[in-house]
Amino acid sequence: MLREMAAAAIRTSRLTKDYGRGRGLFDLDLQIPEQEVFGYLGPNGSGKTTTIRLLMGMIRATGGSAHIFGLDSTRDSVEVKRRVGYLPGDVPQFGSLRGAEVVAYLGGMRGGVDRRHVRAIAERFDLDLNRRYREYSSGNKQKLAILLAFMHRPDLLILDEPTSGLDPLNQREFYALLGDARDDGATVFFSSHVLSEVEHVCDRVGILRAGKLVKVAQLDELRRIRVHRVEIEFAPDADVPEGRLRSASGVENLSVSGRVVMCTVHGSFDGLLDAIAGTRVVDLVSTEPSLEEFFLTFFGEPKPKALTP
Amino acid sequence: MGLRLGRWGIAGFSMVAFVSTFVQTTGFYQIAGHTPAERAALGASMSALAAQFVALFPPPIRPDTVGGYVEFRAFHSLAIIFAVWALASATGFARGDEERGIVEAALASGTSRGALTASRTIAFAIAAGVASAVAAAGFVAGVASGHETVAAGGVVEAGALLAALTVSCYALSLLVAQLAAARAATAAASALLLGLFLVNSLSRVFASLSTWRWASPFRYYELSQPLPPGGNFDPRSLLVLIGISILAAAAAGWAFTRRDLGAPLVHVPPLSYRSSHDAARTPVWRIAVVRSLYVSRLGLLAWSVGMAVMAAVFVSLTRTIVQVLLSIPTLLPYLSIFVHQRLYPAVLGYTWFNVAQLMLAAFAITYVARWSAEDKDGRLEIFLSTPQSRAGIVVERMAVLAAGAVLIAGVSGIVLFYVSHAQGIDLNGQRLAAASLMLVPFALVFAGVGSLLAAWNPRAAVGLLGGFAFASYLDTELATIYKLPLWLQDLSAFKLFGTPLLNGVDGRNLALMMLLACAGLGSSILAMQRRDVGA
Repeated sequence: MLREMAAAAIRTSRLTKDYGRGRGLFDLDLQIPEQEVFGYLGPNGSGKTTTIRLLMGMIRATGGSAHIFGLDSTRDSVEVKRRVGYLPGDVPQFGSLRGAEVVAYLGGMRGGVDRRHVRAIAERFDLDLNRRYREYSSGNKQKLAILLAFMHRPDLLILDEPTSGLDPLNQREFYALLGDARDDGATVFFSSHVLSEVEHVCDRVGILRAGKLVKVAQLDELRRIRVHRVEIEFAPDADVPEGRLRSASGVENLSVSGRVVMCTVHGSFDGLLDAIAGTRVVDLVSTEPSLEEFFLTFFGEPKPKALTP
Repeated sequence: MGLRLGRWGIAGFSMVAFVSTFVQTTGFYQIAGHTPAERAALGASMSALAAQFVALFPPPIRPDTVGGYVEFRAFHSLAIIFAVWALASATGFARGDEERGIVEAALASGTSRGALTASRTIAFAIAAGVASAVAAAGFVAGVASGHETVAAGGVVEAGALLAALTVSCYALSLLVAQLAAARAATAAASALLLGLFLVNSLSRVFASLSTWRWASPFRYYELSQPLPPGGNFDPRSLLVLIGISILAAAAAGWAFTRRDLGAPLVHVPPLSYRSSHDAARTPVWRIAVVRSLYVSRLGLLAWSVGMAVMAAVFVSLTRTIVQVLLSIPTLLPYLSIFVHQRLYPAVLGYTWFNVAQLMLAAFAITYVARWSAEDKDGRLEIFLSTPQSRAGIVVERMAVLAAGAVLIAGVSGIVLFYVSHAQGIDLNGQRLAAASLMLVPFALVFAGVGSLLAAWNPRAAVGLLGGFAFASYLDTELATIYKLPLWLQDLSAFKLFGTPLLNGVDGRNLALMMLLACAGLGSSILAMQRRDVGA
């Protein structure tokens, strides 16, 4: 037990931040071992940012405790932050400072900058550090924030919706950077409200709803519970395999309109693909439902209230 | 929207206006006496005081009457305070709201740029009208408490002039903010308003400037003094102020339609540009305090140069002021308390160091505004994500402000010494050094209070600190009039500063200032430790 606790990069016990009127984060028990990439999933206002700010010691808990590498996140906050890279949900504003100056400023506060590593990350994202911060697009501001979180090769990365504002190409680059950090031994705590995103990069996923952790799932379990809405258009000369589709594993809510079939798919697509095998398909669109819809389907409960503190 | 965004400014400046006029009016009845002789004596002493400030304020008319006294003591000061409000509001709209995306959102809703400029200018005009009316109401309430009456026409005219001056300053600042780059907009508008103020006020001392004072809105404000009996109101001056407001606002609206959002009207492309993927190499970023000074280097340079120039101007003014004082026979009994050689240090100590105190208080307030912005803009959160303790960040902020104050006070003190020496005014070097350095603990008192306010409630910190500075200043002005207890007087840094150029540094006052600064620092560390950041 003691060994397990010592190995945990993040450990919270009944961690609570009560903003009143049912808003906040309640009784969070979480343990994330070192070198794990943990996805923290929840709709807007579910308490993801509150959790992250509690872990970073930015806000004070109403109850419970949070430990990072065995250190109290509030009492030992200076020591904790030596080992943590942080990307806040709202990118900070640096006015007329150049990107290079922002990096040197924050690097200076950490005692120095690994210039080669900074250069490598900036090149990877093609981020021009000679520009003034206020001239950056929102995507470039996000890239700079990512650079600031990764530049000192931290043991733990705490990232609040890190891909917001990034285009798909840069999102892929970010996932690759995350993979490299993990290969170098880093632990990652990564919040998102996009189900498919955490699937890309995470080992385990915690699902937060209305300030409470409702599930911690392994990736394969997440894949089982995930839902997709699928629309298939068959070729004019093809027969719609309605019978095979209705009996296919994971396929639900099937409706047929002419040559167009709509359904939802739970978990794996294998059943659906087997059912349409050998039939000519001219179009197939799969869309991921929003987290609110996911909660509705998975937990069978109404959409939670917004909980933004 | 403009009124809603500026509601705290309206409330705060209206309160300042009411307190200022009401307290000065009731203060008049405390000190003026009831006989004509007593009031004549007060008028003579006010004229002596006014002669020392001739470079800032016009000589009062009938300061032996409540109207003349309040016109001089309250309305002329309010004109400066309201000009600062206009400056902050105009640059806040033109650049601050633009950076926060408020302007973009308003334009996206279908409002034209001209209409947006007009609506915000009209909103500010209403705000200025309200605050000026409140100032007039404070005067009327104060007069009523003295069981006297004043002519309603004069009160309305004084309020209208104050509002018109404020709106003209707003419109001029708005115009400059369209022309300058975002980061230079406030500085450029400040420089313009300060220049226009000084052109007018210094023209009373330097005749060569009088050919330019027509360009200053402050000139048209001062052409009327409607409150005292025998005072005057020039309706053409009011019309000129309204004309300046309309023309400058229209020009600002035109400039706004011609420029890109976030860019100045005239954009000078950089001579060469090279992209880079490297962090800045300058070693200053590694050194605590120095890195923050480096970030604000341009601001510090502007403050140092501005204070040095003002110090030189005040030395030049001192000769004129002393000659004016010596030429008034009724003042000779007052002046006889000074040994002849000490008259210059007395006047310089009174004029320059009074202004320097106000400037250092303003300097501290600008730093507290920066701390508040660090909180609101998420920089504090990112700073705290590095291995820095909250206490360390608070202490570093204070150290940065102290270092900036040392620089400004030092540069202005050195300039004061050399310019006065060149003009044949021999000042005691040690006294001057001590008096200049006394400005540092003075600034630290405001920094301590500001640090506590920024840790407790960053959104309200600047307004509350401005209120504290105003109350401190009033404390010194009114302490003797209202016979305030000593402990209350000792809470004012203006009082604690004393007259170090004339009498040396008072050790007790210095210790009290340091105690207040340390109390502010300690309590702000405690407040910062306990508060939520980013929530």
